[in-house]
Amino acid sequence: MEQPSASTRLAGAVRDLASEVVSALRGGDHPGVVCAPAGIVEDDKLGIAAVRVLGADVLLPSIMSRRRPEGLDVRILRQALTAFPPGADASRATAWSHWAMARSLRALDPPVPHPADDEPDASWLDTAPWQALTHQVSLLAALAVPGGDCGVLRALTRRPHDVARGFVRAVRRRDWLQAAGAGRWLAVLDDVPPSLGLDTGLEFIQHMDGADPRVALHVSAAQLLRAGDPR
Amino acid sequence: MRDVRLTHDVGLKALTWLHAHRDGFRLEPAAEAGGSFLERFKPVGELALICKVLFREGVAGSRQAELARQLLDHAWREVLDGGRALVVGQRREPLSPVPFETYVPFRELGYGEPELERAIRINHRLGSWAALEVSPVRRLGVCTFERRYGMTPSTPLPEAAARTWLARTPEPWTVEGHIGYDITHTVFHLTDWGESPRGLPDEVADYLALWLPVWLDDWTDLRRWDLLGELLVVDACLPYPSLDEAAWTALAGAQSPDGSMPVSGADGEAAGGSDGGNEAFDLLYHPTLVAAFASALATSRAMSGLAPERA
Repeated sequence: MEQPSASTRLAGAVRDLASEVVSALRGGDHPGVVCAPAGIVEDDKLGIAAVRVLGADVLLPSIMSRRRPEGLDVRILRQALTAFPPGADASRATAWSHWAMARSLRALDPPVPHPADDEPDASWLDTAPWQALTHQVSLLAALAVPGGDCGVLRALTRRPHDVARGFVRAVRRRDWLQAAGAGRWLAVLDDVPPSLGLDTGLEFIQHMDGADPRVALHVSAAQLLRAGDPR
Repeated sequence: MRDVRLTHDVGLKALTWLHAHRDGFRLEPAAEAGGSFLERFKPVGELALICKVLFREGVAGSRQAELARQLLDHAWREVLDGGRALVVGQRREPLSPVPFETYVPFRELGYGEPELERAIRINHRLGSWAALEVSPVRRLGVCTFERRYGMTPSTPLPEAAARTWLARTPEPWTVEGHIGYDITHTVFHLTDWGESPRGLPDEVADYLALWLPVWLDDWTDLRRWDLLGELLVVDACLPYPSLDEAAWTALAGAQSPDGSMPVSGADGEAAGGSDGGNEAFDLLYHPTLVAAFASALATSRAMSGLAPERA
């Protein structure tokens, strides 16, 4: 039998990890504990890479429940942050997701020290066409957390209708992951048009592709943000 | 939209093709009742509605106005036999609204058929006419035509409008092709085919201003030119039309060199060529008419400086 490729194994590890985040968000067996039930241990290269892909969302269950995260999750997130620094030619999405991981560590009580990077540039979000805007920020949905002020949020606060249009576009095109990410942003924005039907839209996305744990993660986060309004 | 010539030329080319292929507007007298005899009125009625828009908007230029007048005369005299064909249709299916709907724009343009008018008056008094089970957007259309004709709408217009999909302003991400056509036709009826943009209730206009850009983007990428053309008509009916450059450029690019517009896909060749007889005509006439319609309205709005209200 052929060995699965590295990318296939990484995708599988990301799915497993996302499943644990969803389970923890929904108050499953391990509330606030993510890496251990996903089988990830310290110095586990594949696991650390998976944590880098999911980024700050590894700590999302503890942020949403306002609990101190489990020590292993924090240590592995730190390892991922150190192991995959953004290169000079990193994409905007990569720079921002790296910054989000560092922010989530610094926000802990007590904070986990990490060099405070400057916020990456977000000015391009002011001029991006709404289609590209939504595509890009859906990749950065891990930044959409309670109290998560940052340049991306400030830019989107000025363009809620454009994000809503991008949400419609993504649902129409059956791009469920993008739709879920955009929906999560809309859950933290004011002035979302009521005619969008965000709540039924989130349910629809969950129904159509909730089997993908990355989709379920964003939908669950959005629904918790909508229900708790912890902004 | 920076280039008004683009929208104008799409319409001129479309009308030129329709004129050259006017024999495609034809009836099938041998068809049985309930068959295609009344169905063949639909293209003729649409032609009259859109030629009326061309005259009304006054941006067509003398060449287009001449083509439109010749097309109308041909449709009335040759296809409808001076209106007699509508009478025959009404006798075959007395309760059908189709002959009435086809007749209204011709009557507004000065054509007349007294016997049909008697049938219309009798029909309008029937409880069955008002009770006919048709879709909400179709009911709205019949009622607006009744108003245009000078009769009391068989369902009060606000009530007929409120029953449509669009009036409820539902989730915009649920829109697919059929709903798209329901939206466009609701706008056509509410605005008297673009004549009265103020016929759109504010709530509906706001809803469309918000979500129409998404649908234009989608149906441009899907290369569904027929529905895209209708959505561009809707755009031109809004208080502040976008005259979406990407959509118009794509539509113009899809138009065949001879002026015909394919329903979808790459070009008219996909439909078997625009000289492929009645079968090809039946595929091409509607998107081509819609292109002429969208062109007339968009050109007019562009030239009036995007004024929110027309005089």
